[in-house]
Amino acid sequence: MGGTRRAAGTRRDVRRRVPARLALTAATLAFLALPVGLLLALPTAGYGQQARPAKREGPYDIMMFNTPRAGDAVAEARLFYASSPFGVAVTVDGIDRYDVRLSIQGLPSPSALGPYKAYVAWEVTPDLTTWHRLGPVDNDTTVVGTTNMNKFLLVVTAEASAAAGTHQGPTVLHGTSPSGWLENFLTHDAFFRGVY
Amino acid sequence: MSRIGAVTLLLAVLAAPVAAQGGMKTRTDTGMAGMKMGADTGKAAMSMPIPMPKGMPMFGALQGLEPPIVPFLPGEGVDPSTLPMARRSQIVRMASGDTLDLTAMLLRRNIEGRTYVMYGYNGQTPGPLIRVPQDATIIVRFHNHIDLPSTVHWHGLRLDNHFDGVPGVTQEPVPQGDDFTYKVHFPDAGVYWYHPHVSTYIEQAMGLFGNMIVDSPDPDYYSPANDEQALMFDDLLVNADTLIPFGKNTPDFALMGRLGNVLLTNGEERYQIEVHSGAVVRFYLTNSSSSRTYNLSFSGAPIKLLAGDLSRFEHEQMVSSVVLGVAQRYVVEVRFPKPGRYALVNAVQAMYHSQGEFFPEVDTLGIVTVDSTPASPDYAAQFDTLRTNTAVVRDIDHYRKYFDRPPDKKFTLTIRPGDLPLGTIQFMNVDTAYFQPVEWMDGMPMMNWLSTGKQLKWIIRDDATGKEDMDIDWHVKQGSVVKLRIYNDPFSFHPMQHPIHLHGQRMLVIDRDGVPTENHSWEDTVIIPVGSAVDLLIDASNPGDWLMHCHIAEHIASGMETVFHVDAVPGMTGPSTGG
Repeated sequence: MGGTRRAAGTRRDVRRRVPARLALTAATLAFLALPVGLLLALPTAGYGQQARPAKREGPYDIMMFNTPRAGDAVAEARLFYASSPFGVAVTVDGIDRYDVRLSIQGLPSPSALGPYKAYVAWEVTPDLTTWHRLGPVDNDTTVVGTTNMNKFLLVVTAEASAAAGTHQGPTVLHGTSPSGWLENFLTHDAFFRGVY
Repeated sequence: MSRIGAVTLLLAVLAAPVAAQGGMKTRTDTGMAGMKMGADTGKAAMSMPIPMPKGMPMFGALQGLEPPIVPFLPGEGVDPSTLPMARRSQIVRMASGDTLDLTAMLLRRNIEGRTYVMYGYNGQTPGPLIRVPQDATIIVRFHNHIDLPSTVHWHGLRLDNHFDGVPGVTQEPVPQGDDFTYKVHFPDAGVYWYHPHVSTYIEQAMGLFGNMIVDSPDPDYYSPANDEQALMFDDLLVNADTLIPFGKNTPDFALMGRLGNVLLTNGEERYQIEVHSGAVVRFYLTNSSSSRTYNLSFSGAPIKLLAGDLSRFEHEQMVSSVVLGVAQRYVVEVRFPKPGRYALVNAVQAMYHSQGEFFPEVDTLGIVTVDSTPASPDYAAQFDTLRTNTAVVRDIDHYRKYFDRPPDKKFTLTIRPGDLPLGTIQFMNVDTAYFQPVEWMDGMPMMNWLSTGKQLKWIIRDDATGKEDMDIDWHVKQGSVVKLRIYNDPFSFHPMQHPIHLHGQRMLVIDRDGVPTENHSWEDTVIIPVGSAVDLLIDASNPGDWLMHCHIAEHIASGMETVFHVDAVPGMTGPSTGG
């Protein structure tokens, strides 16, 4: 399962995953060295220190990162297919439907961040335009759900109420659905810093 | 463009000059047998030997290659005009003791305005729909008149092991022109299907399959319906001019299986029925495709799920769509509340691997036309009532005490790549940075086509012994209840879902990734998504040597099979019944 370590950059995610799949042949490595090196050298947003996870994530694991607003918070998230008699849960359009299990430690009291009383998890489109409430979370293991997007950010914000239907407060934790690993979030720097 | 997508495309350019070093044949002007294709690799999009989804890039490293196979299509050297045109499936109602002659034969089919030489049983596509009462036993005299050896496997039936139709395990293949007599017993009500178990990736894909419906003596077994329809879904891969040839001795498309670009329902491009307003139609759904998983719905018409492979569900429930894995069956009822046209669609989210982009793929498989005449009788009230099937609940009650015990056996599903093209190996490393737990379409058709069963091995691995596939030696006593955990390795060379089928027994899916199943039915085929661990409880009550395998036709032909030995206990009859 993906563990949160203090804020991490997307660039590190790529570097961590890609080389692990490149060990089959020396020729492969030779072919990849140049382009991967070039691309990894591109500037990306940096968010401080990150401990390298000991284990690779599977297709259901979400590595969660804290923001400066919750500097001591660590979290893990894992997706589970939502209840379905078919085992594989999808919408009528074929989009995977997952419940999200979030395990969180170290979040400060919401009131420490401002006029807030609760933390709420959201499923958010990569362009940040659509926020779908998943449910309230806390320093505990909570199952919230259900997702209905192909790619999404998993975001935890501080809110004035656990019943908040729209997000208002600052971001304290965020992660990217495995399906979004191929997505680029270079424009979301302020968001990932918990500025909004 | 995403960064990994950029890496992939950059690799495509870089890898092009060396790709032909991968031990592959290089495509020439003449192309593969029976295919028209250009040889101008500078116009890859125009000369593509296999259909590519619109907008999907062709990797330079793979241009000009073709899989190292002996191309094969049915009816080589046969004058097509001498072959009969396929007829629609006919219902054959049989009583216990009756005999059916079932002949696998060459025939012609007209699809999308083109005529192809394919296979069928008794001149029909699908083959005859065999309808029998529960507990019947019939005799089937099988005659092999196709140009390959064959057998008949009676998928899902817990019958006598001798008649299971598995070459090398329960019988020898039936040579061309030869016969074999099967004694087929039907212990469980529901919908089943029959198909070959020799060169399945050719014979089944070319039309050798048919349904069986087993009727319960209980007239109230299912909630009432105005009409019944048995639907078999398959897909055919065609180029502009012809079918895409198969490998005669080993499959191509060994990575993902052959996903067709023409979707067929009961062998037709556009299935159609007409019903009255408010009618409740009971559909018996069977996926006879080689590799495609479906997500079926009826334009918003309410769907009630009644039964899975071998039994009804404990509890009827409404669903928005039906996820139908390879070889699975479901029985559903659909109510068409108002006059109009309802499309039967397969709606999935496909993915361009190299770009990491999802896109919806929707295929209309058929049309249900609803006229303005009210259906009679009106079953609306019964349709809206969700029943609990107490017989099923009571039957499964006997097995709940086993749900929480540790697994008796653990299998891991994985793959061992071999002499694949270097370009494929390179691309796969990056391509699988993300993979859908269930792949609904072929997002890498060139790499898939170029991979053969001799260049990779799909693996069922026994975690305890490390033994693989047919080397696994697993015996249990008849009457055992076995808990099996199957894990689909997400970090393999090419992770993909596997529809795992167990012959001759019945099993419950009791847990997925630590989450207990809420509503059970007895199954014989279960989808194991990538990265998932699925716990199965096997009621090993039917003695014999039973195959367990991935039902993706190209995967079983690439080694993904093992044998589950149920050792007979003297005096014990089987299989167990109930539900």
